[in-house]
Formats: sequence, C-alpha cells, structure tokens
Amino acid sequence: MPDYRLAKDRAFTILVLALAAAGVAPLAHLLATVAVRGAEAIARAGPGFFTEAPAPPGSRELGGIAPALAGSLLLAGASVAIGVPLATLTAVFMHEFPESRLARAARALAMSLLEIPTVLVGILVYSIIVVPMGRFSLLAGGVALAIVMLPYVATYVERALGQVPRTYREAGLALGMTRAQVVFHVAMGVARRGVLAGFIVGLSKALGETAPLLFTIGGSRAVVQASPLCPGDAVPLLVFQLAQTPYENWRLLAWGASLVLVASVLLVYLAARLLVREVRL
Amino acid sequence: MYAALVAALVAYTAVAGTGCKAAIQGSGSSFLYPQMEVWVERFREAEPGVVINYNPTGSGTGQNQFLQGVVDFAGSDPPLKRADWERLRGRVVQVPVILGAVAVVYNIPGLRGHLNLSGEVLAGIYLGRVRYWDDPSIRALNPGVELPHREIVAVHRSDSSGTTNVFTLFLHKSAPSLWPEGLVGKSIEWPVDSTGRGVGGKGNQGVAEQVRQNPYSVGYVEYNYAVKTGLSYAWIVNREGVSVPPSRETVLAAAEAALASLPSSPLDDWSGAFQAIVYAPGRESYPIASFSFLILRTHYPDPAKARALSSFLHWLATRGYDYVIEGYAPVPPAIRSMIDEAARIVGGGG
Repeated sequence: MPDYRLAKDRAFTILVLALAAAGVAPLAHLLATVAVRGAEAIARAGPGFFTEAPAPPGSRELGGIAPALAGSLLLAGASVAIGVPLATLTAVFMHEFPESRLARAARALAMSLLEIPTVLVGILVYSIIVVPMGRFSLLAGGVALAIVMLPYVATYVERALGQVPRTYREAGLALGMTRAQVVFHVAMGVARRGVLAGFIVGLSKALGETAPLLFTIGGSRAVVQASPLCPGDAVPLLVFQLAQTPYENWRLLAWGASLVLVASVLLVYLAARLLVREVRL
Repeated sequence: MYAALVAALVAYTAVAGTGCKAAIQGSGSSFLYPQMEVWVERFREAEPGVVINYNPTGSGTGQNQFLQGVVDFAGSDPPLKRADWERLRGRVVQVPVILGAVAVVYNIPGLRGHLNLSGEVLAGIYLGRVRYWDDPSIRALNPGVELPHREIVAVHRSDSSGTTNVFTLFLHKSAPSLWPEGLVGKSIEWPVDSTGRGVGGKGNQGVAEQVRQNPYSVGYVEYNYAVKTGLSYAWIVNREGVSVPPSRETVLAAAEAALASLPSSPLDDWSGAFQAIVYAPGRESYPIASFSFLILRTHYPDPAKARALSSFLHWLATRGYDYVIEGYAPVPPAIRSMIDEAARIVGGGG
C-alpha cells in the first residue's frame, strides 16, 4: 500500500523534526532571552554601557561595564600569549613522538585536565602566583585561563596535525627540509584551519570562564585598570556576581554583560571562519 | 606573529606600569558587597585619591585571604573565630559595620494581612512535625486569620551559608528543647527533608524562587531579598513574646539590646557577637538580626595604606550611615564610635 507507506514516511519525518526542534529549543530560548534582556539593558544604559563603571546598587541608573570589558581584553591577550604556544608545542610533541612515555603521559594529563573543575585551577594559581605576589592581578587570571584552554587547544591541534597526509610530509623531507621545518611550514600550513579552530575553541572557552577568576583577579569593578599586573574585573565574573544580588539595576547590567559575552564568542567564531579559508587537498 | 603579540603585551605592561589604581584591596562577605560598593563610591567622591576594591568572595574566603596577607581587609558576616583572634591578639581590629536580618518569607495564596510565626513553630516546621498551615500552634499565633488546610513546603538553602547559620542559631536559642545545638551551622541535615516536604534552593535567589513557585511554602532569606523580590514576610515572636516585623528600627533595636553583651573595643574578641544579637532581649527587637564585620590590621607597613584605611573608617563612622541602602540597617551610635576608635588605631594614633 503506497499510501500507507507514504504516511508512515511523513509521520517519521515529522517526528524527527519535532525531536530536533525540542533539542534545539532550550538553546534558542536561552539565546533569545539573553538577546532581548541584554538589548533592553544596553538600550537603557546608552553608550555609557561601554565606557562607564557600574552605578551603585538600587539606583535608577545602570552605568556600564567598562572595567570588565578592559579586564576581559587583557585576560584574553594574556591567556592566548601564555596558553597557545604551550598547547601548540605540546600538541606537536604528542603528534611527532606518539610512542614516547612523556607524550602518552601528556595526552592522559590533557584528558584529565578537561575533567577537573576549573575552580581548582583558580585555587592552584591563587597559591602559586597570587599569594607570593601579595596581590590579585589580571596576569594571575591569564595564567589560570591559559591552563584551562591548554587541553582544548592541544587536543584540537594534535588532531589537525594527524589529518595531514603522510605524502606531504614525505615531500618536505625529500626536499631536504628538517623535521622541524616540515612540522612548522608544511604540516601547520596544511592543517591551519584545524589549528586555528583549536585556538578559537580555547579562546572562547577562556572568555566565558568564571571559576578560575574568582580567586585570581580581584574584581576591581570601579575603575578601568590599564596594567595586567593590577587587579581587574572580567565580564563573566561581573555577570556571576551582580546577577546574584537583589538589585534590579545590577541584574539588568548583568543581562547586558551576558549579551556582550555571547556576542563576542560568536564574533570570534565567525571571524575565524571567514579569515581562514579551507585547504583543499 | 606570535612574537609580535608577546612583544606588544610586554611593552604595553611596561608602559602601563604597575601603578594600580586600587591602592586598597578587600575581600569577603557577599552580603556586605552592595552596601560596600555604595560606600566606596561615596567615599571616592569625598576623597578622590583613594580607590577601595572589594571582592565578594564569601566570608570564609575573605578571612582566609586576610590571614594569608593577600588582602588589606576582610568583610565577614561572622567575626574571627576565637582561636584566630588569640593568635593575632593586639594585631587585628574588628568592627561591625552594618546590620542585616533574616526574613521568613512565605507563599500562601489568598492570605491577607501578615502571618505571625515563632521559633517553636518554625522549628516544628523544619523538623517536619508541624505539617499543615492550620496547625493549632500556627492558629494560636494568628487569631482571626483564615489558614488553609494545606501541607507546608519548607524551603532551605542547599549551599553552605551564613544565613542558614543565623537562622538555625535562632531556632536553637528560641526553642532549645526542640532544635538541638547539633542542628546549628552553615550547612545542616534538615530533618524535614526526610518527610519529603523539604526543598533546597541555591543562594538567597534560589530560596526566594522556590518560595515563589511553590504555593504553601515557607523559606528564609536575607532581608534585602525579601524586600526586593516582593515576597510576603512573617512577623516573628521575639524573646519578650512580642511579634515584630523585620525593619530598620527593629533590627537596630536588637543591636542596641545586644550592646550590653558585646565587647567595648575593636581589639577585643568578638566571636560571641552572634550569640548576643540573635534572639536579643527587648520588646522592639527583631529576633533574627545579624552583623557584618570589617576586619583590619592594627598596623600596615605602607603608611599611605594605613592613612587611607583610617580615613575611610572615620568617614564611615561620621558620614557613611547617610548612605545605607534598602534592606540593610545602620549600626547603633555606640558601635559607630567604636568604628571611629578603629580608625584611630589603624591610623597609628591609638
């Protein structure tokens, strides 16, 4: 009976579509809520949202999140500067010497680092950097975020290197290139999209983290700090701390900051996709 | 490209230098945080040179960071433990700077007027023994009020919290035969949970949300959350048998009544302060009031820091209480003069 089969096919398609929608719905709802409430907050605060510090709690004004934005920028710079080379070199080592005991240990550690609650990373950095320095600093936060992004970047980069065809490497060697030249000029070049995807995943992971910052950056929320050696604020930390208070203007500010956070992570993704063209083999 | 990025960052750090704009760093109580931000802002208007940076990490963390010397001062709901104070005797200054209260919030659809509750009744509810809203013990406190025959949902904090500590201390002090000392603490095993009528919420936010969503529920939150979320809150029977609502006046009255059992100097051991203010005597006193403290050193190696902290404390004692935000209560005048004394000690004049 063709009719019966057609109906069955139709019903199944509808079922699958409905299930897919149900899976995506919470995420869509989340993004929509952040977009609506965040836009409301930014519209009410005006351009001051990006240039001022938060207004006092319970007041009519909103103020802005300038100190947190500045802090997040410095944190991103510091964590990339520390985390990316470390992770890349680890990945190269793991890929080039897969059988060595050290590489196996590194791979196991990277995997387990993914599972460790990031607040522990914050506590570690607190005791090895903040206490000896005698103060909180964005640099300490940058180190904590670098440790958080390390396993993500290392795993992505290693996987990207693994997908470079063997013939390309052999061609490089045949031309008299050293092993290091083959890795950094041939393999990295061919795998650049995957490598960069690793950097982006690491950066966006770091951008959104709150827990490693709780005990490291000090949350200087009233003034914009220009130096990474000073205590500072960060956008996710501001969201976490202000959203917990009962004051409407602070909570609205937290919505606005959430929108900025989500938008900047999406922008980083988009920019990376546009900037790096796919390598066709 | 990477080398350029690092070079730019290093060069930038060198140019921006290490002259941080916040000379003074504090950390601790998140209850104190909104009020502290208001004070810091106002103080900066009065003395533009000084930026105080206060990080709401929680009272326990604040105390640890202070003891480790990472921060210049701590904000903490409980004062230093006796052992810590003994160790630092003469080198540490503690003053209560703001009062708060724990409000008992409830959600009984259709109930008009306010509900009166007592320590015994609340202990009964959180033990799971008082089961319905029209229990005789609740009716006796609320003559003429139509109470529904509905099961009571008892909401409590699921995370470790100073609010829970104050609330359970109140239950123990007002109903010692019902609520044993073993059930006083920041995080406890709630007996009502085993009856299936107990619900946990994370943070004040979570408890307020649970009470809002569950009809016929009761919970406890910091007073400022009760005010700002618009939930109904109960009047509580105090030590003299009078039922009083939480308010600036009743919380202040509790602090006034507690003064007799409090230390007279910022250098003293304050570890018994909560015993004094919770279930304090006095007809006007709200029985579930609490303090929040600032903890400082008597001596700072950096004279500029000592001067700045001293002038902040002096400003706080003289002008700070013009700027108390909704949900908090100012400390009584006797404590304000103690804050001023702390200012003299920190400034090197004591």
